[in-house]
Amino acid sequence: MLNNITAESVIDHALSLGADFAELFVEKNETNVVSTLSNEVQSVESGINFGIGLRLVYGTKVLYGYTNKTDQDELRRIASVLAAKDLRDPASRTMSFSFNQISDIHPASKILSVGAEIESKIAYLMAADSTARAAGEQISQTRGSCMQREQNIEIFNSEGLHTRDKRNYIRTSLTAIASEGGEQATGSWNDGGLLGWEIEAKINSEKTGEEAARQALVNLTAKPCPSGRMPVIIGNGFGGVIFHEACGHLLETTSVAKKASVFHDQMGELIASSIVNAVDDGTMVNEWGSINIDDEGLPTQRTQLIKDGQLTNFLVDRIGAQQTGFARSGSGRRESYKFAPASRMRNTFIEPGDDNIDDMIASIDKGIYASHMGGGSVQPGTGEFNFAVTEGYYIENGKIQYPVKAATLISTGPKVLKEISMIGQDFSLACGMCGSISGSVPTTVGQATLKVDDILVGGNA
Amino acid sequence: MSGSNSTLNMGTTQMAEQVLEQVINAGASGDLIIDEGEALSLKARDGELEEYKVSSSRIFGLRVIKDGHIGTAYSEAVDADALNSMVGQALDNARFVKVEPHENILPSSDHLKTDDELLCPQELVSVEQKIQMTLEIEGRLAAKDKVKNVPYNGVQDITSQRHIFSSAGLNAATRSRMCAAYAYALVEDGENNAMQGASQVSRHFHGLNASSVIDRTYEKCIGLLDGKPVPSKHYDVIFDKDCQVSVFGVFAMMFSGKAAKDGINPMREKTGSVIADSRLSIYDQPLNVDGFGYHLFDAEGTATKKSGLIVEGCLQTLIHNSATASYFDTETTGHASRGPRSTLGVSLHQVEIAKGSEDQTTLHSGEYLELTDLSGLHSGANAISGDFSFGASGYLCRDGERIQAVRGITVAGNFYEMLNKISMIGDQQHWDEGRSALMPGIRFADVAISG
Repeated sequence: MLNNITAESVIDHALSLGADFAELFVEKNETNVVSTLSNEVQSVESGINFGIGLRLVYGTKVLYGYTNKTDQDELRRIASVLAAKDLRDPASRTMSFSFNQISDIHPASKILSVGAEIESKIAYLMAADSTARAAGEQISQTRGSCMQREQNIEIFNSEGLHTRDKRNYIRTSLTAIASEGGEQATGSWNDGGLLGWEIEAKINSEKTGEEAARQALVNLTAKPCPSGRMPVIIGNGFGGVIFHEACGHLLETTSVAKKASVFHDQMGELIASSIVNAVDDGTMVNEWGSINIDDEGLPTQRTQLIKDGQLTNFLVDRIGAQQTGFARSGSGRRESYKFAPASRMRNTFIEPGDDNIDDMIASIDKGIYASHMGGGSVQPGTGEFNFAVTEGYYIENGKIQYPVKAATLISTGPKVLKEISMIGQDFSLACGMCGSISGSVPTTVGQATLKVDDILVGGNA
Repeated sequence: MSGSNSTLNMGTTQMAEQVLEQVINAGASGDLIIDEGEALSLKARDGELEEYKVSSSRIFGLRVIKDGHIGTAYSEAVDADALNSMVGQALDNARFVKVEPHENILPSSDHLKTDDELLCPQELVSVEQKIQMTLEIEGRLAAKDKVKNVPYNGVQDITSQRHIFSSAGLNAATRSRMCAAYAYALVEDGENNAMQGASQVSRHFHGLNASSVIDRTYEKCIGLLDGKPVPSKHYDVIFDKDCQVSVFGVFAMMFSGKAAKDGINPMREKTGSVIADSRLSIYDQPLNVDGFGYHLFDAEGTATKKSGLIVEGCLQTLIHNSATASYFDTETTGHASRGPRSTLGVSLHQVEIAKGSEDQTTLHSGEYLELTDLSGLHSGANAISGDFSFGASGYLCRDGERIQAVRGITVAGNFYEMLNKISMIGDQQHWDEGRSALMPGIRFADVAISG
């Protein structure tokens, strides 16, 4: 996408201004989104994003600029503007570029540059809509979408790295709305992966429609949630958002290096219940949060974060490695050329255990079974987090009693990790978008159903 | 991706004309949004500049209407090939979309332009001064008692420009500038810690005050350091000015004519009905230049005006663009919204809640919770049902005095029911930190708190 002569000229220029390290991140991505409302196509949107990000590093200071233009003069001008306050004698010279052909471990066939397959996507979403509507006359509306993206990146840096990657993303979702007597409730289901529209063979429009409708219908009958401190069973799949928010963000060197994480000085220490083993793995084939190389050009890897409750690794990008001394983990990620990379999660999950959900429910006198979780947020400095429960049930005397609505789980990362007392075997993954300092990136969360002995549940009963 | 192309030397207007000419030649109508921006962003760490980011961006977003079908496409590449491809994609996308009889390109050939001196003032300010302020905010905060570090901080200077052109001849342009300063500090005292932040925005860099950001950040951190839960029960609650704007923002869909057309706005059938306490009046006030929600025209080029949304508890109108207005057989309210990458929607510009009659002493009388921090605002809210459950921090107060810092609680309820549980409305309006809305303090009665 950018010719070597231009890249070399810009990086040479940056080093001549005294930068310790210089990098060009070139990105072109094409996106297509099909949206449906009930049984009609609401919109088809498509477009091209293109730009180049230039990163200069002086010590641990990061200077970053970006532009939509490809001409050499503009890129050199940006380098000069960035370096204007840090000019010094050249510290290093550009090494000759050596093209690194990556091995693509996430094969994709029906990719956007071959064809958008719009008719097929519409057929899938219409089938999911029909299934959802057939689930009950209370289903009053559905919203469906299918997003496909082809992201082409090219990276040059002053250490001689020159590499390219192509990432194919696909994601489908359906939200169902149930209405009765002035009450409305929603349910949703989504699938996604790092592949093309061949995902169609792996997903099921009936399951999508049924699940979205089932959740909406359950929530329509839900009662206000009891509140207070109590044990909570957190469902598999997207339930893993609790670990993502409560712990994962605190293990990124983005917050560790700033000592803005409660775990910054706890490497090797027991930070979780001894039954907790947690992993961040970018290598899982065709998973939504996977990559071949990170956005700094380093091959990705599987990183064991917690082993038997003990903190074993952080997620480390180039600057994080420089600041903390820990080895890079292929975790430098960014939303687009508009962001400097930062240490970020990929596919993050708690490994399965030996327990089962029936035993978990039977062990609870009064508590909540949060079978489906929504989003949440965390304050890295204190570890305080919150999660929304999108489908939940009240448990009393070891039995599920009734569905509850508008529940939120509140705790802190360090506390909840130590309160995990049972982990099931029904491991699954779910995809989502994670927003942080380098923008919004695709990440997968996952776990088996697990029990936390004490969480503050917010409700309005 | 070659840059050697004839369009690169063209002006914005010429490129827009060329794109729209292709649209017209294809037997369609359309409008084109061109967003451009330049920004400087600075961050500090341990007394040194940690990040220095400059950016320039431009994106074209095209909407076409052919035989009643709408198609959209966008491009950040602006060479002739990319723009031709954008037109082709938009026309191609339209083929798959249902006929939308209510959406048309308005027949306006107006030439509109906002006042640069007002919205995008220039001033003599050097990069050194901006760096100095960044270092000052981080350094002075870090030096304060119990502050462990200031992990998130920065100063930004952002200039944004939007052009809207249509095949009917519309040519509308606006340019605005926003300078911002912010900081989040982490304080620790033994086992206790707290992280809080504050920000400030201005159209002039010289309108920023480092001391104000520093003092408010520190005050928030120290204030909540020893916070603990309060017993679970129903309390009177006053959200601080930022939290209150956020809560109303989360449920802004209740005013959306687009959501009503799509069947997901619970207020669809309630225009003309009383839906809130009779003392509550909510307006959209896009022409108040003191706020950053100022808009002279909307995304269709329609002139904006003050709109009464809820007046004395009665829902007056939903907000409309020309398409939703046509669907409901009414007039556009000047609330069309569209980004280069999106389809036509609606959005509020700048919410203003009318001040009430209670003086500050009365508003703050007796026991109540002042909530100064909410978490999970989007994940914990369902705008369709009105149900919400947020994490919260703040203070237990009595007669205007903060009695106890409160953390680790949740606030839950139904927003639409809460609009009828207003106990008092204060007689003073305040802007939020982002100067996006102007509201008085509102005291809500009987709100469920779990601790």
